[in-house]
Amino acid sequence: MLIVDLVQSIVDGLLFGATYALIGIGFTLVFGVMHKINMAYAAASVGAAYAALRLIALIGGPAWASLLIAAAAGGVFGLIIYWLCFRFIPLSNPLATLMSTVGMFLLAEEIIVHTTDGMPQNYPVVVRGILDMGEFMIRGDLVFVFVCALLAMVVLLYLLYRTKLGIATRAVSQQPVAAQLVGIRLNHINALTFIVTGMLGGFAGALIGSAVGLLSPLLVIPLTIKGLIVTVIGGLGSIPGAIIAGLLVGMAENVFQYFRGVTERDIYVMLLLFVFLVFRPGGIFSNTVKRD
Amino acid sequence: MTIPRLLAASAFVTTMAISSAMPAAAQEREIRLSGFGAMSGVVRSFGINSKAALEAAADEINKSGGVKLGDGTKGKIVIDYFDDRCNAEEGISVTRRIASTSSLVGIGPTCSNVAEPLFGVLQKKVGDAGDSGLQFPIFTDVAIKGGLAKISEWAFRNVPDEGAMYAALFQWLKKTRPELKTIFGGVEEDFAHSRATWYAVMKEVAAKEGFEIKGEAKWLLADTNFTNQAREARRAAADIVAISAHPFTTCGMLKELGRQGVKPKLVIGLTSSSSLETLQGCAAEAEAIIIPTSFAPVTPEARAAADRAAKFNGSLDLHSGAAYEIVAILKDVIEGEGVLAKSDTVQADRAKIRNGLSKLTETKGLIGISKRTEEGEAVKPFLFVHAKGGKWEVLHNPTK
Amino acid sequence: MDFYLGLLQIMGVHTLLGLSAYVVLQTGQVSLAQAGFMAIGAYIAAMLTVLSGWPLIAALIAGALVAGLTACLVGFPALRVHGLMLVVATIAFTEIVRLFFFNFDYQIARGSLRVGPLGGEGFRQIRYFPENGWTTLHVAIFIWTVVALVMAALWWMDRSRAGAVLRAVGEDEIAAQSCGINLTAVKVSAMTAGGAIAGLAGGLYAHYTTHIEQSNFTILLATFAIAYPILGGLSSVFGTVAAVIFIQGFLVEGLRFLGDWRNLLFGALIVLVMNIRPSGLLDARTMATLRRLFSRKEH
Repeated sequence: MLIVDLVQSIVDGLLFGATYALIGIGFTLVFGVMHKINMAYAAASVGAAYAALRLIALIGGPAWASLLIAAAAGGVFGLIIYWLCFRFIPLSNPLATLMSTVGMFLLAEEIIVHTTDGMPQNYPVVVRGILDMGEFMIRGDLVFVFVCALLAMVVLLYLLYRTKLGIATRAVSQQPVAAQLVGIRLNHINALTFIVTGMLGGFAGALIGSAVGLLSPLLVIPLTIKGLIVTVIGGLGSIPGAIIAGLLVGMAENVFQYFRGVTERDIYVMLLLFVFLVFRPGGIFSNTVKRD
Repeated sequence: MTIPRLLAASAFVTTMAISSAMPAAAQEREIRLSGFGAMSGVVRSFGINSKAALEAAADEINKSGGVKLGDGTKGKIVIDYFDDRCNAEEGISVTRRIASTSSLVGIGPTCSNVAEPLFGVLQKKVGDAGDSGLQFPIFTDVAIKGGLAKISEWAFRNVPDEGAMYAALFQWLKKTRPELKTIFGGVEEDFAHSRATWYAVMKEVAAKEGFEIKGEAKWLLADTNFTNQAREARRAAADIVAISAHPFTTCGMLKELGRQGVKPKLVIGLTSSSSLETLQGCAAEAEAIIIPTSFAPVTPEARAAADRAAKFNGSLDLHSGAAYEIVAILKDVIEGEGVLAKSDTVQADRAKIRNGLSKLTETKGLIGISKRTEEGEAVKPFLFVHAKGGKWEVLHNPTK
Repeated sequence: MDFYLGLLQIMGVHTLLGLSAYVVLQTGQVSLAQAGFMAIGAYIAAMLTVLSGWPLIAALIAGALVAGLTACLVGFPALRVHGLMLVVATIAFTEIVRLFFFNFDYQIARGSLRVGPLGGEGFRQIRYFPENGWTTLHVAIFIWTVVALVMAALWWMDRSRAGAVLRAVGEDEIAAQSCGINLTAVKVSAMTAGGAIAGLAGGLYAHYTTHIEQSNFTILLATFAIAYPILGGLSSVFGTVAAVIFIQGFLVEGLRFLGDWRNLLFGALIVLVMNIRPSGLLDARTMATLRRLFSRKEH
């Protein structure tokens, strides 16, 4: 029984970790391109899911359509965040953008609270079904989230490495001044990064809403923390790293919960994180550690 | 704008704003009662509903002749409401602000984690000259964590007594549903109220009524993954699943139980989940969940009160229903104690109200008579509701 | 009057919290561990006055020392990493401390009552101030005396060699290192000082709110700790005070008359201020202007 439960816990955790992975990709992408943290990212992503839920309730439509609407809304929110929190603040001042996005986080959370009175909102199931194998059970919707995370990775890597836009983005990431000298418009590329990550975030927010079955402002802070954790464990800027880190964090949570109970679960997860950071500061995919 | 000017401007606005909250001495006799609670964050709906209930109750009293003051003149109730964001420091600050106005009583707060420090700031024993605590009566409508009012003699509450409610519920179940024999608990561990309600209330009274406890699953209030907990429930295969948690995780757990195909014969919920929140979150999964509550529109008074609160854009539930009752109780106390509500009798009036409240042994409520304990707590009448078709419906009224 | 004095108390404690992050920020490190240090100071000081009957000042100092010592011990491993990784490592620390107190019970019988911290239920009845007849005025004066002492110490440090060393590390680590500055020693010292100040803030917080529980010491509080110095400007300790007045006095209490708009404006105004004043309300140039103004008046 113990082995069965443990394996099930690991599988459940890994699958749920797919939601962390999806959010983590967005954090890591902004960090990779701009070397900045967008603290408002998870709040905007959940906000986009709320927007989709509202729109579906208003005009009707199938549940899966909410994923697309959320992605569109997320893109818009991403652009807004770029304009309000990054565009006019000097790049040389990382603390200022850290704080402006914290302000944006608080604003986004409060807007959500005001439109729904803070009440949890039911989110429709997008993917139904459970793979039932006697003792084992695997949630279909989480498998779908996992596949989406992989697809997002493939699409992003294709964009970054196989398109002109991607080359420009990487140029901006590596040498912003030189990139400008060869005629790449810095603001243009940065804004596009925010739109793309915003769309991914909105999509992720909707998937998470559907996997949890609910939207609530309570989702925002844990997702922000998970996003940051996944970004550093995976290695700053590494997309495959973010996916693996997301799955690992999800698994660690469930395994510690299984062994130590829910009140001590996060102590061990955080201790593990602390030790990992201190002894392997580059993350899982530590390429050359640059100064940040 | 240069910085010194920006600073000067914001300093000016700050002073203006703070001082604008201090009204000049009232010309006509007004009885100021100040509500406070959470108007932001996940508990925002509580503040909105309490505010509406207070305003509706005051409006009703004012329309039907006002309050008779100690010197025979008529007074009108004026309500104001402050947001404490469910934050301890802000709750204390808001109370000090209210206490610095002509307000006679503070009605709130929403959150137990505000109520507890706030009650600690109050004077512990009346007349203790060595205790410099704040001397201001607080009458709580929502914060429900057990045994708080005894912290200070200035603190009173009109919140339900969960011990009595769940004891009655399990007795009733034993009688009417003899096929239910075993129970499994689910508890939100990091919220004082939900945690205490499972360990000290539901689990104890269920065992006392002869139900077999098949185990318990735990989670935290912002948790989203309930696979382990639902599996434990599946293994336990108990007849009843009792969930002592707030709506967000109640819904999360119910959804996961559904996914894993766990179908207990009965689900019991936490008192504070008998609000709109649970239905907004998971009406389908919460269908047939039974919750004891201290408010439902079952009497003509309760129905009228609910309609009035709706006009002030709030919905009446067990929490805001308590706020509505508080205004009526205070009216009686003000009339009974000869409160003057003059600008120079504020502190004496507050002491009279506190005195009056501490003497009460019974109060009239919306669904029946409440008893009051020496510690400043209420023992309120209650009924059992269940979710049906996306609405709360009364299942049983034990007082009948 | 009571209300303004109460507000002053809150501002005083938040100024200390902001200053604790200010010291660490001087070395260019963003630490979200301050809420954890504050929790340690709060629980230690409160347990000493409530359970052991210590006088307040001794208990506050003990809380600050334990918090400072913890900061020192955590600083050695944590400060090996920088930037976002340090942010996440310190988030982990604050969460570990919070969850420790979530699981921490230590109650003793006092008459018919049991007192002391009780895990998720919190630690109630820390009533040293009211029980000893301290009025709000006394408490406000006491808190601001502590704040003044800490500010004076930091102000002096800012203008001494130690301040120059901290800033050198903050501006460019490699350059500082090649000048013979021991990076680890400097960063750990700053972290220790910050931890002690946060511990002091925690001890005061526990006593004026009379009840503490784990949910008070979250990442959000840690975020505010760094928000004060960043919003206020890192060129002097007065920036932190200005930011505390801006957030606690203006955004929280001052805008209360706006009702629901207050909460929406809270985040929006922080965004706005960072756009207009990316280096903080009182940045280096403004401080220089102010200094000129004051010295002109003296002549």
